[in-house]
Amino acid sequence: MAVTGSILELCNLTRRVGDGTPARAIVDNFSYSFGFGRLYSIIGPSGAGKSSLLRLLNRLDECTDGSVKFKGSDTREFAPCELRQRLGYLFQTPHLFDRTVRDNIVDAQPHLSESKISRLIQQVQLPSGIVDAPVDNLSVGERQRVALARLLATQPEVALLDEPTAALDPANTEAIERLISSVVTDHGVTVVMVSHSRQQVVRLGGEAILMVDGQLIEHGDAVGLVKNPGTPQGRRYMNGEPQ
Amino acid sequence: MTTPGLTQVLLAGILVVIAIAVARYWRLPVIKDMAFGSVRGFVQLVAVGYAVRFIFDIESPWLIMLALGIMMTVGAHAASGRVKSVKGSFGTCLAAILTGSLITLATMLVFKIISFDARYIIPLAGMIIGNSMNASALVIDRLASDLRANRLAIETALALGKSWREASQKFHRDAARTGMVAMLNFLKTVGIVALPGAMTGMILAGADPVEAVLLQVIVAYMLLSATTITSVVAVELTIRRFFTRHHQLRIDR
Ligand SMILES: Nc1ncnc2c1ncn2[C@@H]1O[C@H](COP(=O)(O)OP(=O)(O)OP(=O)(O)O)[C@@H](O)[C@H]1O
Ligand SMILES: [Mg+2]
Repeated sequence: MAVTGSILELCNLTRRVGDGTPARAIVDNFSYSFGFGRLYSIIGPSGAGKSSLLRLLNRLDECTDGSVKFKGSDTREFAPCELRQRLGYLFQTPHLFDRTVRDNIVDAQPHLSESKISRLIQQVQLPSGIVDAPVDNLSVGERQRVALARLLATQPEVALLDEPTAALDPANTEAIERLISSVVTDHGVTVVMVSHSRQQVVRLGGEAILMVDGQLIEHGDAVGLVKNPGTPQGRRYMNGEPQ
Repeated sequence: MTTPGLTQVLLAGILVVIAIAVARYWRLPVIKDMAFGSVRGFVQLVAVGYAVRFIFDIESPWLIMLALGIMMTVGAHAASGRVKSVKGSFGTCLAAILTGSLITLATMLVFKIISFDARYIIPLAGMIIGNSMNASALVIDRLASDLRANRLAIETALALGKSWREASQKFHRDAARTGMVAMLNFLKTVGIVALPGAMTGMILAGADPVEAVLLQVIVAYMLLSATTITSVVAVELTIRRFFTRHHQLRIDR
């Protein structure tokens, strides 16, 4: 198996839905390569297909055309369950199973030591006492962080994060951003993150990808793309104008 | 009471007249249904009575099989009509009813609990198929609505690398249980709250109550077996329609 320079290689990736003629492409001929151990932010207007794109990467949905290669092999050659363990996915609206915080983490990764669990809880900025709390008492932001801790517990090679800070206040947002940066730099995990916030993309750095109507419009250095978009759609998006 | 004849049936029609009068006084919007239903029920039952008598007289195993086949198909059709939102539910219901009924009947025949006699097979199969029909409709309905309502929970489990079976385990168990609940409740209250139909029928027909009870116990066990098997088969066939073989949930089914 030839390991190329990229961990994920998207080639003309397309997903069409509905039975209209022509069926609507919610991800449209998307080609891009994600490198090892780097941070990528996907930005674009609501309904652009950002979540749909992430779901194709871990094969929660099937593409109708094109391919995704993970470490040089088509993702269809992997057992889906194994693939999804290696490509962790944090949902835009995370779901926790109806028990305690600890149960949720252990359910994803059995045999996790007590100290590892505490460390995860600490990493996502939650108070240590929360491990035995039933999840239905948690706030939305706390739930999102438990889901993130659960994802990190499985030690994925790629973390697909769908707006991980959407429900957090500025202090927590910054802490999670630091955590994401450290996951990338200290653990070598590739992070592909959807974000609605241009400021966040600038703060995090790395690469940014602008997606509109299912298509990749432009990509490049995060700061450069946000400050100096090179396409009319990019300028409209960065100025907050409708597409 | 004498064995009922046409006179008694017509006199029993007085009860329908009373019921319609009550409904009319209360302006319940069911009068048409009541009148039509009473006539329809009469016609259906009389027709069945003659059909069953015909089967008894001929005593041909092929005719018994044909009758069973028709009963199961009609049962599956009625059950799938109650779960229209799930594609292919007729096939599922038919397979579930068929498996539950045949295994149960075959067991009873093999162990000589009953003999291959139209007089036993037809009424017992009628009870089995009726109960299996309800069980399969309940199971499919419950499973489909649970899967649709818990999409995020299931996909979260899938995204964590669980198999489709693990990700939906809670829902198949709940659904299978739904198909068996009526039977389990029946076993709890049988004899205390209600006297079941088979037993009532035998007692009315002049049988010894203890004999009638023994038959009822057999009937209860038979229905427990049939509804359990039907429920499990209905779950197994329905759940597969909601997942691809790549462990993806497809909720539009
Ligand atoms: N299975 C599906 N069938 C039909 N349409 C779909 C399906 N899945 C997604 N869509 C549509 O595809 C488009 C892209 O959806 P997606 O959730 O990927 O957008 P998004 O970029 O993540 O938006 P947001 O920023 O609001 O989360 C939307 O218009 C959505 O309605
Ligand atoms: Mg989204």
